[in-house]
Amino acid sequence: MDFTGKTIVLAGAGGIGAATAELLASLGARMILLDVVEEKMKEVLSTLEGEGHTCYVCDFSVVESIEPLLAQIIKEQGPVDGYVHTTGIGAVRPLKMSKYDFMLRVMNINFFSFVEVVRCLTKKGSFNAGMNIVGISAVGAFIGNSTKTAYCASKSAMNSAVRCLAKELAPKGIRLNTVAPGATDTPMAKEATDYRDGTDEQKINAMRQYLGTCQPEDIADAVAFLLSDLSRMVTGTCMPVDGGKLTS
Amino acid sequence: MTNEEKIAMLEDVLELDGGTLKPETELSSIEEYDSMAKLSLIVMMDDEFGKKLTGEQIFKFKTVKDILDFME
Ligand SMILES: NC(=O)c1ccc[n+]([C@@H]2O[C@H](COP(=O)([O-])OP(=O)(O)OC[C@H]3O[C@@H](n4cnc5c(N)ncnc54)[C@H](O)[C@@H]3O)[C@@H](O)[C@H]2O)c1
Repeated sequence: MDFTGKTIVLAGAGGIGAATAELLASLGARMILLDVVEEKMKEVLSTLEGEGHTCYVCDFSVVESIEPLLAQIIKEQGPVDGYVHTTGIGAVRPLKMSKYDFMLRVMNINFFSFVEVVRCLTKKGSFNAGMNIVGISAVGAFIGNSTKTAYCASKSAMNSAVRCLAKELAPKGIRLNTVAPGATDTPMAKEATDYRDGTDEQKINAMRQYLGTCQPEDIADAVAFLLSDLSRMVTGTCMPVDGGKLTS
Repeated sequence: MTNEEKIAMLEDVLELDGGTLKPETELSSIEEYDSMAKLSLIVMMDDEFGKKLTGEQIFKFKTVKDILDFME
């Protein structure tokens, strides 16, 4: 795989985002990072191979702020060849505490921002021929998880949107896919489990992912594949990288 | 907020009848104090008190009073 001369926008400089940016940069891509926490992006930028990488601060919970920012990015950096959406919050809440404002916040950050970025980056002049898009979904999109209604709905929504958008954008030569990670060793996973440490529910969950916990690099490998020409006949689909969880 | 108000809030979150909890009540004696209740507690501390309650801290709570003290 070679991304030399390609410009890739990557949202989310967390565990999976950092590993993905590092891999893509090592394969020659110029990375443009987006995150609400500037220090995280600076830290990731300092680890990237190659020249010309940059970052922009943005809050994906404010979806209206995305369009002007992307217009500025295209003006300053030129049209792009790829977009990777790793931004997400792993919100867990019992139903009785999942009021509309909470549901909306999760949907904004995990899903509506994804569609908005795709909408803006697929306008004429914003992308180069052969543009590819990958969203990070989750196995939760396919599994019932108590207290994760908002999160799982946002990830299912992303998978559905990608099925539709892949068809709609195919005439422009654009492919879209998602990757659904199983439990992956990042700060988000740690936060999601610590109040249940040692419970039966957690042990059963871990057992189902029989190849063990994914590393962020495992997810990055799948993203690189989907962004590359090796996957030229793959579009509109979701690739689980889940250590066997969904089929066990 | 008075202790009574805090206890009422806790009873509401744990879906217990009013008057069930006393400060000295041992958490291990409350059947409803399960992993879902603990998660509800985390959310309540965040929403109502702007406090981040970690899994580690939750395991240190032994009585209702420990929770009330954290609600300060
Ligand atoms: N770690 C796992 O076990 C796991 C499993 C399945 C799916 N996923 C998904 O993978 C993606 C990446 O997860 P991760 O484990 O790297 O998480 P992470 O928490 O390390 O990274 C998420 C990033 O999103 C950023 N972010 C959060 N809110 C934002 C906002 N309002 N605006 C802009 N940026 C914001 C954070 O600053 C962070 O850098 C997420 O979408 C997550 O749902 C993770």
